[in-house]
Amino acid sequence: MKNRYDELRRATWSLPDGKQKLAVMEEMILIADRYMTEEDAYDIRMDYLSAAIEAGCPEKMLVVFSWCVSKFEKNPGTYAHHMLIWCYKWVLNELWQMPEFSLTQIERIYADFKEKCLQFGYSLRPYYQQKINLLLSQGLQAEAAAYYKKWRAAPRDSLADCKACEQNLFGKYHFQVGYPKKGLQALKPILDGRMRCRSIPQNTYAQIILPLLKVKDYEQAIAAAKKSIHLLDGPMYLEEFGLFLAFYTVTDLAKAEKLYNRTVHLALESKNGWIRLHYWMAVRQFLREWHRKRRRKKLAAADVVTLDWLDGEIASLTAAFNRRNGNDYVSHIVAENDKTAGKLLREYAAAQ
Amino acid sequence: MKNMNFQVNLQGVIDLLSNHLYSDPGVFVRELLQNCVDAITARTRLGHAFEGSVKVEVFPASSTLSFSDNGCGLTEAEIEQFLARIGSSTKREDQDAADDFIGQFGVGLLACFVVSAEIVLITRSALDGDPLEWRGKPDGTYTIKKLKRQVPVGTTVYLQAKPDYEEFFEYYRVCELLEKYGAYLPTPILLREDKYERRINDAVQPWKLSKPEAMEYIEQSTFTKPLDIIPLHSAIGGITGIAHVLPYAVSLQDEKKHRVYLKNMLLSDKMSNILPAWAFFVNGIINTENLRPTASREAFQENDLFFAVRDELGACIKQYLIELSERDPELFQRIVLIHRASIKTMAVEDEELYALFIRHLTFETSYGDMKMAQILEERTTLAVAASVDEFRQVSRVAKAQELMVVNGGYVHDMDLIRRLPAVAGNVTVSVLDSLTFAERFEQLDAEDKRAAQPLLEHSDRLLERFNCRSLFRWFEPADIPVLYNTNQEANFFRLVEESEKEANPLFGEVVQVVKNDMYEQPYARLCYNYNNPMIRKAAQTRDPALRKASIELFYTQALLLGNHPMSADELRMMNDSLLQFMNKGLDGEVEANR
Repeated sequence: MKNRYDELRRATWSLPDGKQKLAVMEEMILIADRYMTEEDAYDIRMDYLSAAIEAGCPEKMLVVFSWCVSKFEKNPGTYAHHMLIWCYKWVLNELWQMPEFSLTQIERIYADFKEKCLQFGYSLRPYYQQKINLLLSQGLQAEAAAYYKKWRAAPRDSLADCKACEQNLFGKYHFQVGYPKKGLQALKPILDGRMRCRSIPQNTYAQIILPLLKVKDYEQAIAAAKKSIHLLDGPMYLEEFGLFLAFYTVTDLAKAEKLYNRTVHLALESKNGWIRLHYWMAVRQFLREWHRKRRRKKLAAADVVTLDWLDGEIASLTAAFNRRNGNDYVSHIVAENDKTAGKLLREYAAAQ
Repeated sequence: MKNMNFQVNLQGVIDLLSNHLYSDPGVFVRELLQNCVDAITARTRLGHAFEGSVKVEVFPASSTLSFSDNGCGLTEAEIEQFLARIGSSTKREDQDAADDFIGQFGVGLLACFVVSAEIVLITRSALDGDPLEWRGKPDGTYTIKKLKRQVPVGTTVYLQAKPDYEEFFEYYRVCELLEKYGAYLPTPILLREDKYERRINDAVQPWKLSKPEAMEYIEQSTFTKPLDIIPLHSAIGGITGIAHVLPYAVSLQDEKKHRVYLKNMLLSDKMSNILPAWAFFVNGIINTENLRPTASREAFQENDLFFAVRDELGACIKQYLIELSERDPELFQRIVLIHRASIKTMAVEDEELYALFIRHLTFETSYGDMKMAQILEERTTLAVAASVDEFRQVSRVAKAQELMVVNGGYVHDMDLIRRLPAVAGNVTVSVLDSLTFAERFEQLDAEDKRAAQPLLEHSDRLLERFNCRSLFRWFEPADIPVLYNTNQEANFFRLVEESEKEANPLFGEVVQVVKNDMYEQPYARLCYNYNNPMIRKAAQTRDPALRKASIELFYTQALLLGNHPMSADELRMMNDSLLQFMNKGLDGEVEANR
């Protein structure tokens, strides 16, 4: 079985991020559980966490993390706490995006994370940062603003995201609360090439293309899109693909079509409600534009993803988030998104 | 308020730049060559009529080397300005403007301090007649003096080897480095030791060779005959080059090593990113006039121009392939055969190439390896298995059912097959659900159904705890007694169960939500083949213990054959049932012997 394990491990090295890689790692975990030590089973599970994120399967990450965190609590001396708490950040980052989890459940997990940070002597900076996402998804902007201040004020330590990632998130925060210019200003050090990491600047470019359209800086928007689209590959970028799809629907329908065909299956397989909602909103806009002309070409998944189907999906996701939030904030997001998309199309067409 | 200047430790900076900027001590040859060629270019611009040449002389007795050119030389003011100020360039005001000079940064001479403790430079400017001698040291000090003797217009640099660097001053090593960097420079380079002199660079630049010549050149320099030569051009990058198609398959993980020249001088012979990542079936030899190198001059700055140029070069390769498919289908097929991994990567990323290649690519199917063209000729409905394991579970049986199942488990195959309807409108592709796969087989008639019912019910009860459900069908081939199908989610569900057992209450709830609200519990399927005589016998037995042992053995054998990891419980079950049958057999023999 060790041979089979090693053979599977080798296979993971050549597989691209995605479900196939996860399937291989799942078999490795089963082998480790049955024939190897608990430490081996823990280690391969820790590897699986990042692979699950990269495969766009956060729910799988949650399941495996649940095993790890419990093992860690039972034997805190055996496993490294930094690595575990680091991965715990991913849990917080994903949890609020899935409406299947109740607010009480999410808040209890946030509280548990906070407690672990304090217990192991870490700054609460990542906790505040994660809290903002949760609050914004509920439309609680004033509360989010308070946490934004706490986030910026809390000291940085080894648990904080890298500086480039944080800077990117500062910009993203401003975009989310409706200040595109302030957001672009915050992202300047990244756009000037002064800050970068594994996921920055490609992630940043995806964040700015729509705000740039909003402030009518078309030239820079197109330049940014051109720079970054070839850097995005794999299921973990579904959120960014949604942003690009919305962008290309306005600026270049042929590119939108290409991107849609390339990425729609990722959305169909995703269990991340928040990202799916945003991706489907972009697809709806794209299909509306696409169907303005008679087309002979068949789009990918054309028999599943129709405008009616999209209406249904968007409505049910919206209802799920509203139910979880106990308000109708997500309905506002959807309405606002429709309005903005129409406006961007008109403005861009007028400027050409 | 007082404005202050930073204090710089000059020796430290020189050490840093000279020892850490470059990856190989031999680059001093490149830097000196470059200065020589640039000086000759500068003198040509002055309108002087002369035959430019670079002479390199090796003095083995003293481990000394001289580089002489008959270029424009330097005046005292220029020496002050350019040699004594790190970071100034002799070459231009605007660093971004393109021109004929190779160098840019004014740091080139620093490379000499890696190998030599002193630089001695004798020069006479083409503009002002005084011959000068400049001596620079790595601690940042230098001297200039006017020479009394006359020297020709131009510059000569003398270097003496530092301990441990003598190797770089030996004839064979200098020759090798000059050839490496300067083989294709248009200015003649002569290397001399004692009375022996040879010209280094009389070869034609490979990017100017005709196709047959280029083939021969590649064969001679790499000892392998390329499949073909692809001409490369980029107007914006001022690029001419060739890409030779490798005659052997290369791994996706191999680092590419393209040879890149900047204004005819070698910049790097292991540049990986000048061609698009998908083009790993070719090696490029490229000369560019316009791309900007980094300070170490071992790579290009990755700016917008760089990416645009890369796209343009990628377009050349695509265009070549499109034309080749019509011009020389046989060669095209060979390239596809050898480089299918690379071509699949290309086809996934590019619609045009997808349409060009998809019919020529080979896939593993339930009917063996087949070209997509052949698959499409025979079928309009395909099922694609998402993993190699799922494919193996079903392929043999699928063939017997005349079903075309394609293995989508290898890198890119799933994506490639799923996109088929875009190029072949009449084709329907479905992703194989291995759990429902067996349900499409022939149902038993009423009588057989009745006969099989006790075994079926017993099997369901027995295997419930392994999340496995049973069914009876009649299928070919008859020698397969059972078909065990599980899909990728079944393994994940085993992990869910492990997590459920281990998790603390807080995360236990999380696991519950994922299990109940986000997934449907996948049951594996054990399909008994009523066409198999053993199955029929097992169905007919009225002894519950024997029936139980048969079910357990069929189930565990199916797991073993399918490479599925068995739990302790399943292993125990297999042993028990095997022992029971052994017992029965041995008991039977004992009875017979009595």
